[in-house]
Amino acid sequence: MFELYRWKELFQNWFVFAEGFGITVALSAVSLAAMLILSIVVGLVRCSGNRVLKGIMLAYINFFQNTPLVIQILFMYNVLPRAGIVLSPFACGVFGLSLYTGAFGASIIEAAINAVPKGQKEAAYSQGMDYIQTMFIIVLPQAVRTALPPLANQCVNMIKNSSALAFVAGGDLMYRADSWASDTLYYPQSFIFTGLLYLSLCLPLSKWAERLEKKAVRV
Amino acid sequence: MYESGGKMKRSVKVLVAGIIMLAAAGSAFAKSDALSKIKKAGVLKVGVKEDVPKFGYLNPSTNKHEGFEIDLAGAIAKKIFGDENKIKFTGVTAKTRGPLLDTGEVDLVLATFTVTDARRKVYDFSDIYFTDAVGIMVKKSSGVASFKDLDGKTIGVAQSATTKKALQEAADKIGIKIKFSEYATYPEIKTALDSGRIDAFSVDQAILLGYMEDSVMLLPERFEEQPYGAAIKKGNTDLLELVNSVVDDMKKSGELDALLKKNGLK
Amino acid sequence: MNSFLTGDTIVFLLRGLGITLVIALSTIVLSFIFGSVLGIARYTERGIAAKLAALYIDTVRNIPLLLFIIGFRFTLPLPPVISAITAMTVFTSAMVAEIIRGGLNSIPQGQWEAAYSQGFSFAGTLMHVVLPQTVRRIRKPLMGQFVTAIKDTSFCSIIAVKELMYSGTIIMGKYVKSIQVIALYAVIALVYFSVNMLLLGISKKMVKEQS
Repeated sequence: MFELYRWKELFQNWFVFAEGFGITVALSAVSLAAMLILSIVVGLVRCSGNRVLKGIMLAYINFFQNTPLVIQILFMYNVLPRAGIVLSPFACGVFGLSLYTGAFGASIIEAAINAVPKGQKEAAYSQGMDYIQTMFIIVLPQAVRTALPPLANQCVNMIKNSSALAFVAGGDLMYRADSWASDTLYYPQSFIFTGLLYLSLCLPLSKWAERLEKKAVRV
Repeated sequence: MYESGGKMKRSVKVLVAGIIMLAAAGSAFAKSDALSKIKKAGVLKVGVKEDVPKFGYLNPSTNKHEGFEIDLAGAIAKKIFGDENKIKFTGVTAKTRGPLLDTGEVDLVLATFTVTDARRKVYDFSDIYFTDAVGIMVKKSSGVASFKDLDGKTIGVAQSATTKKALQEAADKIGIKIKFSEYATYPEIKTALDSGRIDAFSVDQAILLGYMEDSVMLLPERFEEQPYGAAIKKGNTDLLELVNSVVDDMKKSGELDALLKKNGLK
Repeated sequence: MNSFLTGDTIVFLLRGLGITLVIALSTIVLSFIFGSVLGIARYTERGIAAKLAALYIDTVRNIPLLLFIIGFRFTLPLPPVISAITAMTVFTSAMVAEIIRGGLNSIPQGQWEAAYSQGFSFAGTLMHVVLPQTVRRIRKPLMGQFVTAIKDTSFCSIIAVKELMYSGTIIMGKYVKSIQVIALYAVIALVYFSVNMLLLGISKKMVKEQS
């Protein structure tokens, strides 16, 4: 199973993995942006006074945190087309990842906002700022500092979860690795190489998250 | 000093001879011990399909395996143990059936496994026990009536199946361009066809028949013959010989035909 | 509309749920044991055990679970469900280890110093002073990881293990009408949701009873 010629063939086909790697990176980047915006918006709503909106957001958070990502993506892939909404596998990935990871991000932001001392908010209101101004100018900048380490972890989770695109023939790294291995039957080579590729993406992020955590603890 | 030198030379010779003898004995054992290992284990481990009616199908109502390949496995087990029930079935897909042979999780694979030259390099195959062909399923509402209508369209196939290669060659021959979407299991492909993600579902006709219903139809063309053989790990020649003898005997005695009829394949 | 909810289908899905729970619970128990050992080893920062633990955790934690599941299935001679449990345990242990290490890190240095001044050894401090406090702090992230374990069993459907997701996929292959497909997805999502909410509920109750 581990013969040398199999490795040679792997490296001759490096572009297959490169394509997949590119898709994974693009998918992660776009989903990250979408997820951050979503998390902040939902987190802000959760800390506002509006009961109805808070309830809706809580339902969203609870649902997406407690159902598998796979089922969410498969739903978008197989059910939405019947309603006329045909999202490309890549789009399914973006929506799936941002909605799923966003639910966790929203909880993180909510907790971070609540961790900012109440005094800050009160001082801002006394200065005549409204909710939006208070949040964006005073509270959020501080909250983001607290939220950054767990958010970085969620980002790593998201890159790993992007592999779910393999379920919908999505062309990401996992799909390519699986497809190539299925054709050649060189499973160990394909998967070891793929593991290293994912490692190259996630390890730096994880280490950065660790450094952020250490900084936070010191403060 | 001279004496100890002589003794050393002698003991080295004995050691080398011993190693050579052990290696020879070892390789003799290595060649033919698959069958004895199976007999020792008391069960024949067989990889079979669970979603192909008439071939290898796990009946959800009875939770029992049924189909032509199941019966064939029973005949092989009978030859080894005298009892056709000394079998442990493991459900496999096109993707998992090969690797499971390599890792030793199954001794034998009877799972609509098409024999090709490329595959022969990796596994040993028994004599052919059935020949099928690749078919294509499309939605009746798609308006596709033949293979050439699939120009520029996407066909769903299972990973590791021979389908991709067969269709690509056929497409190149008549000069059309087709795209592929690969999935891990057949039900996923059927669902993707239903939701319009792919324009066609292609695999051996025997397998397609398990997914037929009113809204889909098979295209008239058949591609590349798919001869099915039992797959065995390379080098297990004793097991291979036994399986071949079973298949050949059954062909001669008409038992194979009878099994095909019993399972609705003839 | 619910023509797919026949007796056979329901039993089939229930069996799938059973397999899901077997995989998830085995993973949770095994990864908790293994992850604790790893997490404590890394935390101590002493000797080769700590270095090996760090290597294991940093590598495994940064590779997708799906890769382990597919990889193990095709290279190790294990029956399907055992292979799935092994892959999930290997992965989840690394995650649990980090949670535990984080919890241990959050215990102020003062606790250690106070214990040493009382004459406790390293192991004794760990056992009697630090770990009990850690357990309280990590309950939430740990529960989160266990809920994730239940959700992640759905990844095992790609290797055709008949857990809930794959069982649903098989049934879906036979049903065409949109209503049926939507209903099937809804049912499966609901089952996962309920199981997870139940788990979270139990964990919250256990905390209430402790205090």
